[in-house]
Amino acid sequence: MRFPTRSVLPGVVAVALLATGTAACTYKNSDAQSGSQAAPAARTGAGADLVDGSKTKVALVPGGAHPYFQPWKTAGAAAKKTYGLGAVAFDETAEWDQQKQNNLLSTLAARGYNAFGVFGVSPTDINSTFADLKSQGFPVASLGSCPAGDKDDADFCLSTDVQLAAYKAAKAAIAAMGGKGTLVHLTGNNVDANTQLRIKGVTQAVKESGGKVKLLQTITDIDTDLQTAQKAVSDLMAAKGSQITGIVATAYNPAVAAADVVKSSGSKAKVIAIDDDAKILSGIKQGTVTATVVQNPVGQAEIGTWALALLQTKQCTVRSPGVEVDSGSFVVTKANVAGYDKARQTKTAELKKQFADKILTCG
Amino acid sequence: MTTSISPPDTVPEEKAATHRMPFWVNQRLGLLVLVIALSVLFGVLRPAFLDQQLVLFPLLRDIATLTVVALAQMVVLSVGHMNLAVGRMAAFGAMFAGLGYDRLGVPMQVGLLMCLAAGAAIGAVTGWLIARTGVSSFVVTLAMDFALLGLVSLMYSSLTDDAAFTTHPAGIDALRSYSLADICAGPICGSPAVPQIAQFTVLAMLALGFLYGCTRIGRELLLTGANPAAAELSGIPTGRRVLLAHTLSGLLAALAGFMAAAGTGTFRASIGDDFMLPSFLGAVLGGTLLTGGVVSVLGTLLGTALVGVIRKGLDLLGVGLESLNIYLGCVLLLALSADRIRTVVSYRKVVRST
Repeated sequence: MRFPTRSVLPGVVAVALLATGTAACTYKNSDAQSGSQAAPAARTGAGADLVDGSKTKVALVPGGAHPYFQPWKTAGAAAKKTYGLGAVAFDETAEWDQQKQNNLLSTLAARGYNAFGVFGVSPTDINSTFADLKSQGFPVASLGSCPAGDKDDADFCLSTDVQLAAYKAAKAAIAAMGGKGTLVHLTGNNVDANTQLRIKGVTQAVKESGGKVKLLQTITDIDTDLQTAQKAVSDLMAAKGSQITGIVATAYNPAVAAADVVKSSGSKAKVIAIDDDAKILSGIKQGTVTATVVQNPVGQAEIGTWALALLQTKQCTVRSPGVEVDSGSFVVTKANVAGYDKARQTKTAELKKQFADKILTCG
Repeated sequence: MTTSISPPDTVPEEKAATHRMPFWVNQRLGLLVLVIALSVLFGVLRPAFLDQQLVLFPLLRDIATLTVVALAQMVVLSVGHMNLAVGRMAAFGAMFAGLGYDRLGVPMQVGLLMCLAAGAAIGAVTGWLIARTGVSSFVVTLAMDFALLGLVSLMYSSLTDDAAFTTHPAGIDALRSYSLADICAGPICGSPAVPQIAQFTVLAMLALGFLYGCTRIGRELLLTGANPAAAELSGIPTGRRVLLAHTLSGLLAALAGFMAAAGTGTFRASIGDDFMLPSFLGAVLGGTLLTGGVVSVLGTLLGTALVGVIRKGLDLLGVGLESLNIYLGCVLLLALSADRIRTVVSYRKVVRST
């Protein structure tokens, strides 16, 4: 084939035009946006008791539809009633796309919402989104997941420490396995910063076993839906079921799938799941699931909404902007399956006190 | 600009036929009227729709990126092919830009050129495979999509801790957040609703408009799409035209990947995950035929804008996720139906003219 000189020409012209286009403009200084943020001016007298939240409209925006976030809806509605807020919206239309989530947030701002609790789709990108919202004067909380890296441009992050939760789950699995054996880790999207943290947490726990526990495989990208997870776990059990003595699932769908498959296959593998789906709790009661690591989405939404309202009304400010707070994770076994929610409620109450005493400065 | 292929001796008849058609049949005009009407409707229902900073700026930034995605699809549709790997090509190109910024510390423009070169290269490989093997573009681009999905994920996982290149070169934040209001000629500044990142879209549209409207190669691309056998017999090197179309598609997909990365903040593997559907929707709504031979650069912009306006308007009206997708699904169905009707009408016109 002869080299297609003429065919390449339009492409070269386009590339040259595009490259020069980026350098051709002159800009005026665009700091006006960042200057528009109102200076913090704490009201005095009421402490951390919200005085008047009637003009505060809080939007709770998860990355997309997922069972994990459903408690946000009820907790947000309850917080609206408890604190007399103007409105609390729960909008899950971001469809796990950062660009769509950014657009959704700006649309909600245009609709009059003035405080945002956000689970960022992309932990590496979400700081830019937070900076945009903050530059327009809105208080922002990173709920359920903190931005990747050391920097957090939100006012605060209230989230499960995902690495710690994965570490706890793996430790529980190793204990159930009797301190030795072969472990498999089932998790979500490999190219997600939180998944990388979960992998680190499990690897750390396995390393601490001093070689007695072998991490046979880390299976990623199976949290898209239950069917995908079920197929992956079935294939795993068919291929290597006899070798596996423990399964730790650090994502929702793989956890439910592992509980199902282990029950139906009669495997003796110890399953440590995540969250408190009815199937998982039933598995714990029946003994097919050894334990689950439960998170605290209710506390995230409840405390997040309350703290955002205090910030929006300028009644309080955050002492160290960008502070990260662990919303709690709890290992639930057959022994405490009946009463674990009390521990979660206690943690939520502790969080409120922690915010009032240590995180916020109120007049 | 709608460009279709017709043999030289039928051009006067075609022009005469076009002149006889009422002006309201023009699809682009119809789209423009629809976009304006919907914007006015949403503006009346929710005056916040016209908020320049909070609504129009992000809307136009989204439209700018998705129009380039749709143009990437339009180019391969012009030769009667399709590119199912448009999203992965975007991720592949963006990965090279991120790699350049993060590891090599190159300036923004150099990273952009690396991104475009990588996109063009992977597009060229795809085009070469199709042209040499004769395997359907559907199969080859589907295979390429899988291959790139694995490759890009593997590269990000092995090269980064957070599965993303987070280095921001100088100028990229400005590209993300600056509008025409930041460009002033004396006391007069531009509109804060128009994002500066749209410059890439405008340049891509001008380049493609010139290619299809003013060059022989452009018309050869269209003839290759309309009737490959006739094109081959006419002396057109159809293999090279297929190669060119896929190269341009890869280049434009990579450009869209760069714009998406600049728009959200970092270069990551999930860029382009949702590009495939909008790529077809924008192009087909705009008047490009799925069977090849007819493209519309301006129509692609208008088609993408229509989808963007509907989505933004429904968001502002507070429509839930399920209803939102039902409405968008209806738009896609209408688009495909309209495409079929236009195919039949085009066929009848050709029969009449011969």
